[in-house]
Amino acid sequence: MKSVEIRNCNSRFHKNIGKYTVSLKDSCFHCGLCVEICPYCVFDRIDGFNHVSTPNSAGCLGPDCKEGPYYCTTKCPVDAIKIELDPQWKTLGDFRWTPDLIITTWQQAETGEIPRGNLEYRIGASGGGFDVFDFTIDDVTAISSEEIDNIITSDKISTSICLNRRGEGPSIEIPVPWYGAGMSFGSISLPSILARAHSAKAWKTFTSTGEGGYPDELIPYSNHVITQIATGLFGVSEETIKRTPIIEFKYAQGAKPGLGGHLLGDKNTPGVAKMRETVPWNSLFSPFPFHSVYSVEDHKKHIDWVKTINPDALISVKVSTPSDVDMVAVGSYYAGANIIHLDGGYGGTGAAPEIAKKNIAMPIEYAITKVHKFLLEEGVREEIVLLASGGIRTAFDIAKSIVLGADGAIIGTSDLIALGCVRCGNCESGRGCPRGIATTDPELEKQIDPSWGAQRIINLYASWQKQLKLLLYKLGLKDIKELRGRTDFLKHIDEK
Amino acid sequence: MYKRYHIETSPVELSTTKIGKFEIIRNDSCLNCGRCMTHCIYDVHKRDSDDPRIMSDPVNHLCKNCFSCIQNCPYQALEMIKNKEFEKLGNTYWTPQIIHTIWNEAEEGKIPIFGAGYRGPFRGSGFDDIWTDMSEIVRPTRDGIHGREYIATSVDLGRKLPWISDFAKLDLTNSYEIQIPMLLDTSPLGLNSRGIILPIIKAAHKLGTLAFLDIENYFDELKPYLKSIALRCSLDKITHLDRAPWREANFIEIALPQKYSISELERVLKKLKSENQTALISLGLTNPSLSAGIFKQFKEARADILNFYADNHGQSFEGNIFICESTRKLQLDLVKERMRDEVTILGKGGIAAAEHVPKIIICGADAAVLDLSLLVAAGCRVCKVCKIDDCPVELEKLDPEIAEQRIINMICAWRDQLLEILSAMGIRDVRRLRGEKGRAIFHEEIERESFEFIFKENGPVK
Ligand code: SF4
Ligand code: SF4
Ligand code: SF4
Repeated sequence: MKSVEIRNCNSRFHKNIGKYTVSLKDSCFHCGLCVEICPYCVFDRIDGFNHVSTPNSAGCLGPDCKEGPYYCTTKCPVDAIKIELDPQWKTLGDFRWTPDLIITTWQQAETGEIPRGNLEYRIGASGGGFDVFDFTIDDVTAISSEEIDNIITSDKISTSICLNRRGEGPSIEIPVPWYGAGMSFGSISLPSILARAHSAKAWKTFTSTGEGGYPDELIPYSNHVITQIATGLFGVSEETIKRTPIIEFKYAQGAKPGLGGHLLGDKNTPGVAKMRETVPWNSLFSPFPFHSVYSVEDHKKHIDWVKTINPDALISVKVSTPSDVDMVAVGSYYAGANIIHLDGGYGGTGAAPEIAKKNIAMPIEYAITKVHKFLLEEGVREEIVLLASGGIRTAFDIAKSIVLGADGAIIGTSDLIALGCVRCGNCESGRGCPRGIATTDPELEKQIDPSWGAQRIINLYASWQKQLKLLLYKLGLKDIKELRGRTDFLKHIDEK
Repeated sequence: MYKRYHIETSPVELSTTKIGKFEIIRNDSCLNCGRCMTHCIYDVHKRDSDDPRIMSDPVNHLCKNCFSCIQNCPYQALEMIKNKEFEKLGNTYWTPQIIHTIWNEAEEGKIPIFGAGYRGPFRGSGFDDIWTDMSEIVRPTRDGIHGREYIATSVDLGRKLPWISDFAKLDLTNSYEIQIPMLLDTSPLGLNSRGIILPIIKAAHKLGTLAFLDIENYFDELKPYLKSIALRCSLDKITHLDRAPWREANFIEIALPQKYSISELERVLKKLKSENQTALISLGLTNPSLSAGIFKQFKEARADILNFYADNHGQSFEGNIFICESTRKLQLDLVKERMRDEVTILGKGGIAAAEHVPKIIICGADAAVLDLSLLVAAGCRVCKVCKIDDCPVELEKLDPEIAEQRIINMICAWRDQLLEILSAMGIRDVRRLRGEKGRAIFHEEIERESFEFIFKENGPVK
């Protein structure tokens, strides 16, 4: 794991968003004491200036800082520092991605460290599923910081998982129990794709092309790029199937289960259209389902077909979560899949009807349990890898998926948050993402520098791995694989 | 000639619905550098048209919450707060988000589509405790609204005879086909001005469905649309059954007061049937818990349709049961009594979003009655107390054509969303959705099934 290099990687903006606003009253006579005491660099005085600059509020810990030795408001001789809750805070995020989660994900992307402040980085506020589960470990601070450092840097605790559990075929192991979800060229920008691919390579894990073809720029990363074959077959060719270690069949996706894919016309720029072999500026719809697959037998034929082209590839099957998802999973197993990828309804990054995201198919938490149990009963659980996606936001969500019965997780939105996404949801139309992430607009996409973005994702993953190691240590485990199905480690959050 | 059902939409803006969720505040540190203008791709920031040296006030309702201007302003001059006016809309059931969604649907006539996954809570109460199913692989090809194959949304009102025993005595009651499983109601807030009634009835007419109208609000201008009107009167007020428009109506609803005599009801229905042999007869009920005995009486009195009224929050007037639960129970009871096809069930009250229509149908209704949502489409803000004389949007003075088109737009968006739900399930006909509990996932059941074994000892399931 020594190959992963964590480097500080700051936000690309003038102003960061924080929970508190710090302001200086007129009584401030610019003595500069605050500049000296605040360890979070909220205050600054530019060399040669008399005045303390406008405080950088985003760094402020707020009232929690009272506990520490450097609480500025009480130290200021003229009582000129005012700290208030920033009303702007409430405009950020939503139930699933709370402002706390967004900001702490940014912090992890910046530093590669487990967030230390008072913000909640493990759990959202959706009021159900992962957000009402907690681990049955009592104390977080009982371990000394040196010990923590030892745990998270040592190789004694393993977080790796194997992606092929059948007796035959190549064995592929990834050092962390997750890889990147398919996000197509067209739904996100090329710089964002490259950032994801680069970080996947650094972490020796994977990212997926999604249904938008395989840009040539990705070829240097081909050992870490999954080729997705989806119902529209956009940009799928023999070469792209041959060049990949894993082929992903996308039957359905959680955000719009049973509805195929959408790419609204505005985002189908000439570049995107070329890659997908379509006409620019036309809305693109991938049908649902594969029009050649109406049974497990058809499905097996599909798999045989790609296996003929690329015999060494592992096969992943991506399905969403209907009430008979357990049957679907077993069917995929018998058809020869190595990986079953369950995509729950609450995740997703692309354009999708709100009604589908909210209402169609069950949340991933239920589906994992259902499928895991059924595969166990069928006696095939140990031959297949079960991965979960669709609403997995944090290291703790990953751990909870594993506890419920998955082997690992697949990550989409969190990668984008690391790149600076605020989840405003405007990615789908017009010029796409105003922040340059999920866009194909040549001007807007310049905002992301691929190497900056890659470092941000690398850092986020580093922090996640540390959290998982720490969690395993506290649970008395040495390997993430031992965590699977250990629901005895889980408690309901309402329980006192 | 066969004509595929199609709803004609056209975008209609309304200045009173331009209430954004956010407000951008530009403070004194602004140096008018104009950088926010280049960063905002939604034209919120513009220079003052009179004095281009300065920035004009942000056009807040266009803001889409991307924080680009705020984070790129070199002088920390911008801040975003929640728009209080937005937060004040509606109430706990008709939330600002629900109202906002209807406004957008009414403006564009399109399915709301956004990027970046679901943003709401995991679950809620009532309708928000149900997920609909999808069908993964094994099912006919289907491409949703862009499909090659037609998905039918029409439903039949009226009883279906289990068999025909004697052609000579064939019941003359017609069944009536409406093109969408949605009926409209003209008086959700008890407002009865022409400005509100006319557009709703005309919309129903264009949409190939029916609109409920209280008889006392009938006026002659409505005559051409009589076939699209469901005439309604309370049992204790009904008179002049031998006159127009009773004799020409297609659909007659008798609203039953909380206490009524069944013999009186029988008398009135008999009289109605003799004056107008073809009209469908519906009973409007406030109490959703009915015994099998009462059903039999209704059936013998030859009621074709039962319309269950709930309040605007979906709670029944008697017994305080949410409309989903009462409909589910009703469906089960009728199925048990083997009477389900002998009566049509409608649910009215609390239908506030597109997904409520398929969900109430899954619970057992044949169709939903839309009421308050129609006013919202026309710009209503669901004030805490409706004072129509002091209406902030002057609802009654709205141009009826604008109101009509907005209602049609909203219903088109709702129908398209219904198609999305049906298509994900692989169902080609909304009639097959009725009572299909097996194609829905109910929170309580799935929670028990999935997690009870985990939290048996250490935590509550619910
Ligand atoms: S448009 Fe908004 S939600 Fe979409 S990627 Fe950009 S910042 Fe994220
Ligand atoms: S970027 Fe900031 S300083 Fe420049 S015009 Fe906009 S608000 Fe003013
Ligand atoms: S937050 Fe985004 S949409 Fe809103 S004004 Fe600023 S740049 Fe424009």
